[in-house]
Amino acid sequence: MNEPLYKTLHAEGLISDDSLNRITEREKQPPLFSVHWEIKTLLYLGVLLLTTGLGLLVYENIDTIGHQFVLLFIALICAGSFAYCFKLKLPFTTEKVKSPNVSFDYILLLACTSFVIFVGYLQFEYKVFGTNYGLATLIPMLVLFFVAYYFDHLGILNMAIANLAIWMGVSVTPKRLLLNSDFDSETIIYTYLVLGIILILGAYATQHFNFKKHFKFSYQHYGVHVTFISLLAGYFHYYNSAIAALWILGAFALAFLIYRDARNNKSYYFTLLVILYSYVAASSLIVRLFTFGDNEGAVALLFMYFIASAIGLIFLLINMNKKFKA
Amino acid sequence: MIIYNKTWLANLRLQNTLEKDLYAGCITKDEFSAIKEKYPVDFYTPTLFARVGLFILTCIVMLFVYGLIALMVSSSNMFSSPGFPFFLGLISYAGLEFMVGGNNHYRSGVDDALLFISGCLFFTALFMLFDANNNNPTYIDLTAAAFLISLLLTIRFADMLMSAACCIAFFAWVFFFWTKVIPSGTATVPFIMILASAGSYWLLSTFRGKIQFINYQNCLTVGLIICLVTLYASGNYYIIQTLGDKLNGTSGKAVPFGTIFWAWTIILPFVYFGLGIKRKDAILLRTGLLLIAAAALTFRNYYHILPIDTTLTIIGVVILGIAYGVMKYLETPKYGFTYAETDEANLMDNLKVESLIIAETFSTAPTPPADGGVKFGGGDFGGGGSSSTF
Repeated sequence: MNEPLYKTLHAEGLISDDSLNRITEREKQPPLFSVHWEIKTLLYLGVLLLTTGLGLLVYENIDTIGHQFVLLFIALICAGSFAYCFKLKLPFTTEKVKSPNVSFDYILLLACTSFVIFVGYLQFEYKVFGTNYGLATLIPMLVLFFVAYYFDHLGILNMAIANLAIWMGVSVTPKRLLLNSDFDSETIIYTYLVLGIILILGAYATQHFNFKKHFKFSYQHYGVHVTFISLLAGYFHYYNSAIAALWILGAFALAFLIYRDARNNKSYYFTLLVILYSYVAASSLIVRLFTFGDNEGAVALLFMYFIASAIGLIFLLINMNKKFKA
Repeated sequence: MIIYNKTWLANLRLQNTLEKDLYAGCITKDEFSAIKEKYPVDFYTPTLFARVGLFILTCIVMLFVYGLIALMVSSSNMFSSPGFPFFLGLISYAGLEFMVGGNNHYRSGVDDALLFISGCLFFTALFMLFDANNNNPTYIDLTAAAFLISLLLTIRFADMLMSAACCIAFFAWVFFFWTKVIPSGTATVPFIMILASAGSYWLLSTFRGKIQFINYQNCLTVGLIICLVTLYASGNYYIIQTLGDKLNGTSGKAVPFGTIFWAWTIILPFVYFGLGIKRKDAILLRTGLLLIAAAALTFRNYYHILPIDTTLTIIGVVILGIAYGVMKYLETPKYGFTYAETDEANLMDNLKVESLIIAETFSTAPTPPADGGVKFGGGDFGGGGSSSTF
């Protein structure tokens, strides 16, 4: 289709004869149309709808005889999917393992989700773990972590991390983090802080021991967000006491550590996060400084500070992007 | 006309084509860098994350610049005049021209933010202008204004968001014009909307094939998608009934020619899908898939055949079955279709978006049951968020 383009490039001496041959060879074959993403979306939707439907079905029919059949059905799905995955999986290594085929990932997802529904149901109806709710969430979490590592599945690792947070009594998924969280309680701030530090240590360990290195991103992604948010929340919670200084220092120390790590790994995403979070931290200090007095001039100065600092950061980001690209 | 250097745009297209050849293994790395040298692109286009960061920071800068200006003029009563937002919009637009024209920013986040801000401010100014004149801005004027502004900005910057706004404003204008100005327009408006969107689709797809519009490929793609969706929505039974009730002040009135619209609602998505497969057109194919879901939702809204849980389970099984069937069928590529991944490096893989989505949709916070007799609410377990996903 673009034959003249390649002919021109060849005439200009930019493409060798071999390459031109390869290209004309390829252009002769009819182009393949890939439905890869459509299939993946369908698989994802199918698993999502099926598990949602089953989860609802069990609870809707809880008082009738039918629910035991539904339960049996869920157990069968779970067992069948796990059996399939155990049969097909490639041998375990500490490096990244490719999944044997496209549907493997989704069948594993189906297995894990139906397992979580199953355990949840057992607890709800038969009180298997009694009133020990910690245990009821601990076991699915451990299973999810095991499955994530054993079959090398990033999505399930993320589910496991979310379950870890649930086990600790909080939540990490963005929607709930923003909507439901009440950062005005000390317990919650400390819980998030501990969770964040555990996740960041997890990310560090993943790289240090060279064990499933590609899992580092997930740990670090949740860890960095949760720790920064809890440190800033702590600062504002203790705004008027001296401990506030400790929290803000913690934020800057974390920023320094993550920045060093991001620079070593050439990760622009984490550099950006560090810059934005420390900008919030620094700006809250500046605002505090300016609002000591109460006059209009200070407000105008504050506005100018924001304009100048944000422009400065824009240039910083542009420069850094060039460095990272190089 | 378009503000970007046209040679660079052409070179960018060339580089993108050859990058695919590089991944497909048709050309060597040295050849690719030689071509890059010969056909340079001097735009400043950072990576996706930098673009997001720059977008946020630019918004902060503009917010405080406007705050400072507002502080300066706060004693006068300029705020109520439409000139004020227009003036602010001009500042942002001047910044945009400077960054794009002077500093060669191209999809850098800075230009995205400035374009978005100035578009919104110009629209606010026009809104206030109409409001001040007759105290009752008509939607016809407003949508016409929005259409003009976004059209001009699209022509100048070839921005996808602006072109989407432009198409939506155009269809909104047709809708309001027909229902407010033309007598008995409410009854005929579905047919007019169908004509308008089909006509626009035809026009835009002709444009898409023309060499003069080669710099606007992405905008035209966005436009085509919106035309297809509007074409479907104009004949969708639920939309016609709801809008008809709104316009006539009735409730639940049956739609005249109901059978035609029901046929339209159910059949059209499959027509899109079929045409998409026949022409190997990803736009038609994906829009068709989405609209099949919309058709199913519309149908369920009127006819409750099965309770929601059974429906979800059955649909889930059917979808998995279909996916499995297609994969089996395409094990070896047939009729030019394959389900293998293309060679193009996918940016999304960097972000690991898929795993984040799984975490968001498949895990939910627990609600320890307060007393054993109460049933769990919608999706408190694994299947999470059922009410919002379906």
